[in-house]
Amino acid sequence: MSLKSERRAIHVDQSELLCKKGCGYYGNPAWQGFCSKCWREEYQKARQKQIQEDWELAERLQREEEEAYASSQGAQGGQTSLGFTKFEEKKSNEKARKVTTVKKFFTASSKSVPKKDPEEKSGKPVQAGGRERSADILRDLKGLFVPPWELASSAEVLYDKLRDMKEAKAPSPSLTRQYSIETDRVSKDFIEFLKTYHKAGHDVYKQCKVFLETIHHKKESNIDELSEFTQDFYQNTADKLQMYWKVPPNKVEEAMDQIEKFIMTRLYKHVFCPETTDDEKKDLTVQKRIRALHWVTPQMLCVPVNEDIPEVSDMVVKAITDIIEMDSKRIPRDKLACITGCSKQIFNAIRITKNEPASADDFLPTLIYIVLKANPPRLQSNIQYITRFCNPSRLMTGEDGYYFTNLCCAIAFIEKLDAQSLNLSEEEFSRYMSGQASPKKQDTDIWDADTCPGVKQMHRNLDLLSQLSERQERIVTGAKKLEKDLIDWTEEVTREVQDIVEKYPLHIKANSQALASIDSENVEDDRLPPPLQPQVYAG
Amino acid sequence: MSGQRVDAKVVMLGKESVGKTSLVERYVHHRFLQGPYQNTIGAAFVAKAINVGGRNVILGIWDTAGSERYEAMSRIYYRGAKAAIVCYDLTDRSSFDRVKFWVNELQNFEENCRIYICGTKSDLVENDKSMRQVDFHDVQDYADEIKAHLCETSSKTGQSVDELFQKVAEDYVNYSDFQVQSEPKGVDLNSRRDLTSYTCCHH
Repeated sequence: MSLKSERRAIHVDQSELLCKKGCGYYGNPAWQGFCSKCWREEYQKARQKQIQEDWELAERLQREEEEAYASSQGAQGGQTSLGFTKFEEKKSNEKARKVTTVKKFFTASSKSVPKKDPEEKSGKPVQAGGRERSADILRDLKGLFVPPWELASSAEVLYDKLRDMKEAKAPSPSLTRQYSIETDRVSKDFIEFLKTYHKAGHDVYKQCKVFLETIHHKKESNIDELSEFTQDFYQNTADKLQMYWKVPPNKVEEAMDQIEKFIMTRLYKHVFCPETTDDEKKDLTVQKRIRALHWVTPQMLCVPVNEDIPEVSDMVVKAITDIIEMDSKRIPRDKLACITGCSKQIFNAIRITKNEPASADDFLPTLIYIVLKANPPRLQSNIQYITRFCNPSRLMTGEDGYYFTNLCCAIAFIEKLDAQSLNLSEEEFSRYMSGQASPKKQDTDIWDADTCPGVKQMHRNLDLLSQLSERQERIVTGAKKLEKDLIDWTEEVTREVQDIVEKYPLHIKANSQALASIDSENVEDDRLPPPLQPQVYAG
Repeated sequence: MSGQRVDAKVVMLGKESVGKTSLVERYVHHRFLQGPYQNTIGAAFVAKAINVGGRNVILGIWDTAGSERYEAMSRIYYRGAKAAIVCYDLTDRSSFDRVKFWVNELQNFEENCRIYICGTKSDLVENDKSMRQVDFHDVQDYADEIKAHLCETSSKTGQSVDELFQKVAEDYVNYSDFQVQSEPKGVDLNSRRDLTSYTCCHH
């Protein structure tokens, strides 16, 4: 309801509201901007034709199925499943707009049905599965190459190719996808299951079919609307089974589980983490948050699980595997089962550690710890998907619901987690968050037996490195000391020498060379001029 | 196991170690584990069938973590609950103060959830009157004011435990029958008062 009022509040320019064709009437986004009249002109004609063709095809297929079924299974019990396989075909080519080609394609293939009679029960489903697969392939190829409404000629070519393939009875394995195989299997199981419900089963199948078609047309609409629509469908179907068909309550539960499995296997691709929501963004936020909290220890959360006990650590590992596995399941109930499995492991782990059964006061912290350790992929998307599309009665009250609620709590706790909730000081918390300190470093000695060998090796290496650096430091200090000693020694020697020099000053005797030269023979003297002779000047 | 049908969700609320889990354990398994610290007994989720006037009602009893650090998340727990048993320790005044917190939350966010206030460890009080820190009449006044049901139980002796859960189931049956009839008209508040104004413990 709030949704509607929100829409009302949006203001759009007048011109944007008008029909794209310019006829002057108002357009509607649902009609791709055309007004109702122009839209009808543009598209409805083609659609009408297509719908009619769909019906023709459906009827024809039903006739064929009836024949095939009657011949393979006899008249008895055939009534219940008359419409079922017909639907299989119809569903599979819902996307294939150029129906006539598909029709031809089916006609060709169905000719081989009578030949398969001797194979009886097993022969028929295989046939149907093969056909649906081929139809899937066709649909995919069409989707790849051409807009659906312009298909005509290329589809013809494809159809020919596919018919060749079909006639060779060996569809290329590369084209058969896991997805359609699983969908096939689920539908077959569903049909088999509904047979035990007789008329009610037939009715349920019809309801599911209508539901899936409606959803298919609504594909573009808001995820909350789809969710509401699905929840209504669960509710109505359950009510009808109980009130109208007088099915006992436990059988209703069983049927509802199967219905959920059937429709959600088909819808999963479209409604899990849809692009119209910010689920994916939230997934990333949670993932980053959990990564940032890698340092949280069991002691901080008061987790009553002792991983030193090998049995307990095994259970912790299993719990982590279970919660991670949740993402790989397609049906909400299977996802819930993973959460429940994880919770059971946790309970066992607590029971073994504490030697008594666990209460919620033990369970919730442990679950938080497991989620932090596991960092399950697409956590938020999975939670949203389960909330939106799980049968509400299961989610709100039962045991699965309890564990699911606890998981939601755990995530809420992780998102809001702060220093106080871990009994840490603000300063410690921010230091751990920024990676400046790690609480684990302080107790390196206490290593669990099960710790990953790589981590153990790493820590051994770290130890070695720290020893090495310590030794290096010692060497450096030694070297520095040596250097200092050397300098001191030099200085000391210099000082000592100076002292001695001062104490015993060096007396240098006067040079006697001048005297000696007088005595010596001097060659150069010979070249000197003769000594001056006294001269008498008359005067 | 996962396919078990459950009619009504009942949440156990209350401060840590007031004996929520013991209460459930007592009721479901008729046992009381003695130990130095009774914080952890029993499983967190129990589905229990109760016969009310020939009709089988299955209560899904949800234990919750009472620690204050999970207070912000408690709303997720009691969403859609039909009944809440808010426990306090008769020998611990502070645990009763916390009762008021949950009652407020429930009244604001889960108006269709009926409230049962439950004083625990009454055996301790009976042995030694001076142990009692929460007066019965004060609580009775409070319970009347918020239109809640009040009882004092002992998980050790089993006093009033079965009666409490029986009452929860009976109220659920009476109330939900009424709800089916009157749903188009909306919820009739008067009927709720009638259903919740009487007590099972007489003091």
